[in-house]
Amino acid sequence: MKFKRDTISDEIPTSSMADIAFLLIIYFMVTTTFAATRGLDFSLPKDEQDNTPLVDKEESVLIEIQPGGTLVVDGKPMPLEAILDYLKPKLERNPRKPVIIRPAQDAQYGYMVDVFDELRQAEDKIGLEIKNVSIPTQREIEMFWY
Amino acid sequence: MRLKARGTQNEGIPTASMADIAFLLIIFFMVTINFEVDKTTVGLPSTELRFEIPKKSAYISIIESGQIRVSSGEEISVPVPGPENVLSFAVDVVANNPGKAFVLKADKNVPYRYVDSVIDALKQARAEVIYLLSDQETTDGEDGAGGGGG
Repeated sequence: MKFKRDTISDEIPTSSMADIAFLLIIYFMVTTTFAATRGLDFSLPKDEQDNTPLVDKEESVLIEIQPGGTLVVDGKPMPLEAILDYLKPKLERNPRKPVIIRPAQDAQYGYMVDVFDELRQAEDKIGLEIKNVSIPTQREIEMFWY
Repeated sequence: MRLKARGTQNEGIPTASMADIAFLLIIFFMVTINFEVDKTTVGLPSTELRFEIPKKSAYISIIESGQIRVSSGEEISVPVPGPENVLSFAVDVVANNPGKAFVLKADKNVPYRYVDSVIDALKQARAEVIYLLSDQETTDGEDGAGGGGG
């Protein structure tokens, strides 16, 4: 009596490979987010608090941001686009001229970012880098200014 | 005269390369995927300058009402009761990883006092770098501020 022997395929079964791959694609497509992952960097002083250089507000350029978005630079109202032109001669005399951004507590955060963005572009717009920008917090202002 | 038999046409759709294409797509998604640890919806400020934020940075988000959420970058963000809790969060993060970057994801209309308290907490915690998360500014300048020089 002859028995029929089952033939074993010598190929790796890959027919379901595409199904698995597409399931993985769907998973990644659902979970992936092209979120905003860029922004302006803002370095904080690394020195110990005692060694942090104090910026004298009399020798610096003070940019105040009022609640409506009005900018007051060294006591004078000024549009955002005019700030760098105002700073240029001061930076030519003193490249390390401190610039202080001081938003009012009720001012909108977006205005502070606009000013900071403008100052960071100084090298492109006026050919001079502003090396010393500080944004003191209310606690620091109360501790060191008054 | 005997005519040559017409060649048989394969009726099946060739799918042999389907898996290759699919795996290429998978590799693309695996490389570009970025698990968002903070899904808070905020109206970000727009800036012309934008720098790539390091992966796994700690997130602090502030919505327009002042509600703050924090994430160390490893897990989904959680709300905190107030700015004073940001300090203890930041101290923990810096203690575990002193060079860790913090990302401030704040609504552009949020009153600055909330941002001020968060920045102050980060300064006290000895954070080294903060990224102010932003959108790309469009050329029409509609998001520009400070125009009212009045």
